[in-house]
Amino acid sequence: MIRSTLFYIKEAFLSTKKNSVISLATVICLTATLIIVGIFLVISLNIDLFIANIESQLIAIAYFKDNFTEEEIKKLVEEISNLKGVKEVHYISKEEALQKLKEDLAEHEDILAGLPENPLPSSLEIKVYETGYLEEIASLLSQYKGIEEVNYGGELTKSLMSIFNFVRKIGLWIILVLLAIAILIMFSVIKISVHSRQQEIEIMALVGATSWFIRWPFIIEGFLKGFLSSLIAFFFLSKTYQYFIGQVKEIIPFLPIMAGNEFLIRIGIILLFLGISIGVFGSMLSLRKISFEEL
Amino acid sequence: MFHVFKTFPNKIHALWDINLHVKKGEFVFLVGPTGAGKTTLLKLVYRGILPSKGQVIVDGVNLSRLKLSLVPYLRREIGIVFQDFKLLYDRNVFENVAFSLRVVGTKNIIIKQKVNEVLDIIGLYEKKNTYPHLLSGGEQQKLCIARAVVSRPLILLTDEPTGNLDPETSWEIMKLLFKINVWGTTVIVASHDKLMVDKAQKRVIRLVQGEVVSDARKGIYAKQ
Repeated sequence: MIRSTLFYIKEAFLSTKKNSVISLATVICLTATLIIVGIFLVISLNIDLFIANIESQLIAIAYFKDNFTEEEIKKLVEEISNLKGVKEVHYISKEEALQKLKEDLAEHEDILAGLPENPLPSSLEIKVYETGYLEEIASLLSQYKGIEEVNYGGELTKSLMSIFNFVRKIGLWIILVLLAIAILIMFSVIKISVHSRQQEIEIMALVGATSWFIRWPFIIEGFLKGFLSSLIAFFFLSKTYQYFIGQVKEIIPFLPIMAGNEFLIRIGIILLFLGISIGVFGSMLSLRKISFEEL
Repeated sequence: MFHVFKTFPNKIHALWDINLHVKKGEFVFLVGPTGAGKTTLLKLVYRGILPSKGQVIVDGVNLSRLKLSLVPYLRREIGIVFQDFKLLYDRNVFENVAFSLRVVGTKNIIIKQKVNEVLDIIGLYEKKNTYPHLLSGGEQQKLCIARAVVSRPLILLTDEPTGNLDPETSWEIMKLLFKINVWGTTVIVASHDKLMVDKAQKRVIRLVQGEVVSDARKGIYAKQ
């Protein structure tokens, strides 16, 4: 078992060495494909995050004038909760509002340091089920005394979401087409590799090697190429992405963006999986039948 | 062991109604002009092709009924020497012989032992690190034989083993084949080397245009 495996790996390396130019070209092609797929993946995942963010922001925010009593607030909350389409009502005090702002700004807290007193109003966050309810609730709320202003992001949210969904769909198609192309490339390369080793294959078949024994070196060859390509692609992507994130965070600190190692590892696993599957699947495809006939 | 060869035509009648029986341990010449069907007949034995009609039985196994996945195991019992050598020119002599053991998963120590042994018998031990293209035709032929017999097959099929060799070298090859035969391996030699066949005094099966025209014990190449 181990002996055979060693033989397969040795033969796979031999074959890669023998066709070094083609092997290199394959790895480059596959790497490029995986990078593009990776880019779309990153974009798509970020869009997901964005949408989740926006969806959680299907809210109207009513800002109170200062000096509103607790009791009045309680009464108002109850009243609003009973309105149609309202999912949740949440009171945010002045202190909480400041705390949240501090969190959002994270490293830029110093912006707030110079403030003499808390300028933020207390507010009510009203989550609704659908954007459609926002307008109605907003106009109702603004009639209350003691409410300074009502904000909501109805139309913008809606159109943003449809744009994102569109981008995501296109991205998915592009990824699928690219993957198909990658498999085809792998298919042809292994075919060339098989062809250039016709003699060995023939002899193997004639001295009694089983068809799987003949296939394994090629499958391993595909595996290695896929593995290598995905490693390179991942390395390139993660470096670029980290740089990119650094830039974006400088410019728009609030933008919700997928960051951190966990996200990159996820991308890495996906790329690795894709690369290896393309390699192995492409090889299998070109080795469908090793013939024992007419040798 | 038991061989019955019987074939009916494909479109070009390569072999026509062949009835043969080769016993275990026999030494048989298959003679006839080029295109008589000698190579086709050999292919039938190692299941390179299937007969279009009739049965081929090798070592009690009917090849027409042999599952494709079991063909490799049949081939392990058959050593084959080809007209066109089929050597691996990017591997040295030792590796060429070892190759047929490696692909059946033999242990390295045993491979070493067996390959060295067979190279010694064949007379190529001194050249075991040489690459095939540096060998003479006779040596290449010997190498092919070494590869074919290293796994001690039941049957050895050789196709024109003395094809392009001078009479002396040819006879050397023949003697090698006799030696292998004496070990108990059934040897079938396809040849149109009249000189060798006549000298060997073995069973001769003569094929002409896909048909057996004579089958003689201690035969000679042709009567006329």
